[in-house]
Parts: sequence; C-alpha cells; structure tokens
Amino acid sequence: MSNANSPNESADSESTTPAVPRLNPILTIAVCVSGFVLPGLGHILMGRWIRGVLLALAIGLMFLFGIAMQGELYVSDLSQTPLRLFGFFADIGVGLMYWLAEHSKLGVGNMSARTYDYGTTYLWVCGLLNYLAVLDAFDIARGRKP
Amino acid sequence: MNLSHFEALAVFALLVSTVFGLITKKTPREQFRYGVFVFFSFIGVAILVGWLMYPLPW
Repeated sequence: MSNANSPNESADSESTTPAVPRLNPILTIAVCVSGFVLPGLGHILMGRWIRGVLLALAIGLMFLFGIAMQGELYVSDLSQTPLRLFGFFADIGVGLMYWLAEHSKLGVGNMSARTYDYGTTYLWVCGLLNYLAVLDAFDIARGRKP
Repeated sequence: MNLSHFEALAVFALLVSTVFGLITKKTPREQFRYGVFVFFSFIGVAILVGWLMYPLPW
C-alpha cells in the first residue's frame, strides 16, 4: 500500500530536482563588478562562455557603432542641464569602454552628422543593456536562473 | 560611418534582440526564437509607424 503524500516520496522528488549552484555574496559582487567593467565578463567567469561572449560582442559592437556614428558620450557636468545626467547614467553602464573612450577624446559628438542621434542612442542603449546583463549575472550567481 | 536610417535601425534591432534573447530565455532554442521575434518586431513596428506618420503634414 502506498501513500501519495508520504514524507519519503516528497523527499525523493526534491532530491531528484537538479540543484542550481549558488555563489557566496562576495563572489556574487565580484561577478557583478567584473560584468559591469567588461560586458560579458561576469558570465564568462561563471562558465557561461557562449552567453558571455555573445553579450560582449553585442554590447561592444553597439558601443563601437555609436562612436563611429559620431554619437556623443555624456559627461558628469553638473553645470549643464540636469536631464543630461540621465544620459550620463546610461552611458557609464558600459563600464571600462566609457572610461577609455572618454580619455581618448572619442565620443565628443558631431551634431551636424546625419547619424549623430542614432550614434548617441546606440551609446545610451549599450550602457543600459549592460546593466541588464549585470542583473542577469546576479540572478545566475544567486541561483535564481540556470 | 554614414549608415542610412534603415541600416542603423536594422543594426540596432539585431544587437538589442541578441541581448534580449540571451538574458530573458533559458535554453538556446528559446533564446534564438525570442531573438528572431524581437528583431522582426523592431523592423515591423518601425515600418508600420513610418507609414502611419507618412501622411502627417508636420
């Protein structure tokens, strides 16, 4: 005679569920910071090679296209209109590439170029996409996602 | 780089749909299908909205 609600059965079903590995908080922070600094690096450090490389390619290419289309990288200049801070927040999401471009005098922006608006939007969006990629890395590190 | 509006839109849609597919779905098959769906949605909606705005005089 078998009982469907027996404790043994529920314990068996739990043991057959594949456990999602979970990193400790310090490693989770390290993964998120590395993913923020270099897009995709957080996924690569957790062994998600393909996902990490594809994220790095997509976000990196978007940044390069934005620079090549003479888009503008916003800087944290509080003397300008406060709304530009939103653009600055979006731009810095791409991490190290923002810093490198800023120090290389790239991303100055040429408003007379036909692709200026597209280029600036590319630069915003690649930063915002990297924020999403960091959140995805956080979820994986905490075991919320396989 | 001097892309046309449609080329810039298509490249934008391709890169964004790649990231959306990767971070929102779990299996590679689901990621690919969702990425393709988002890509064509971007293109389709842009063309539709473009035609809707075409007769507007301002």
